[in-house]
Amino acid sequence: MQTNGHPLDALGDPTRRQIFELLRSGPRSVGELAAGLPVSRPAVSQHLRVLEDVGLVTHHRSGTRNLYELDSAGVETLRDWVDGFWSEALARFKDVAEKASRTGGSS
Amino acid sequence: MNDALVIEVVRKTVTVDCAVEEAFRIFTTDAMNWWPVATHSIHGTVSEIVFEPHVGGEVYEVAESGERGHWATVLEWEPPSRLVLAWNILDRGDVTEVEVRFLAADGQTRVELEHRGWENVELDAPTKRGDYDEGWGVVLGKYVDRTG
Repeated sequence: MQTNGHPLDALGDPTRRQIFELLRSGPRSVGELAAGLPVSRPAVSQHLRVLEDVGLVTHHRSGTRNLYELDSAGVETLRDWVDGFWSEALARFKDVAEKASRTGGSS
Repeated sequence: MNDALVIEVVRKTVTVDCAVEEAFRIFTTDAMNWWPVATHSIHGTVSEIVFEPHVGGEVYEVAESGERGHWATVLEWEPPSRLVLAWNILDRGDVTEVEVRFLAADGQTRVELEHRGWENVELDAPTKRGDYDEGWGVVLGKYVDRTG
């Protein structure tokens, strides 16, 4: 699956969502993640790369292993998504309120 | 990754050509007609959206199965001019706040909305509720359905 670089699209994949949720309990190595998932280590690595590309996951070296963890800046992604949501919702609200007002308040 | 994040408050303003009372009424009792439930609800199809009209009240959706989905808790309820909700985000709990103000402006209503408290959304701090799939899973599933 190709990602177009949008974080929420990256999480549209069920395995990546599982990885994301596993990482919520703390940093993990690729091996630890793969142990809890029905996919191979290379597949986990590939999913991690996608999550990292869109800014949801980051990694650092601890001794000889790479530990992956959630990037707390991912909250900004969520915030921006909600920002777009309210624009859409309020535009619809305006339409409905004005229509109801013109027809005498019935809805 | 533990640097304090300053995340900008979501602020929206819309001017609606109707009276303040009408705007408040439509917002709180007629959400079924304007809320984008297909893409922004817990169940995807919803038969009812309820704003319990008092402090401590609940805002929730009712799925066609009859099951409820919790959206928010009412923190302040001042019809027709203002309401504040503690907003559940991705099932992380009611950690964000939505304030909506309805202001009279030349016979129209200026609606100002603020969604704040992003610093309380800790993606990296699990709540151990065991129902994460209801959060990202469902909400993002809808998002992907919509854009995919």
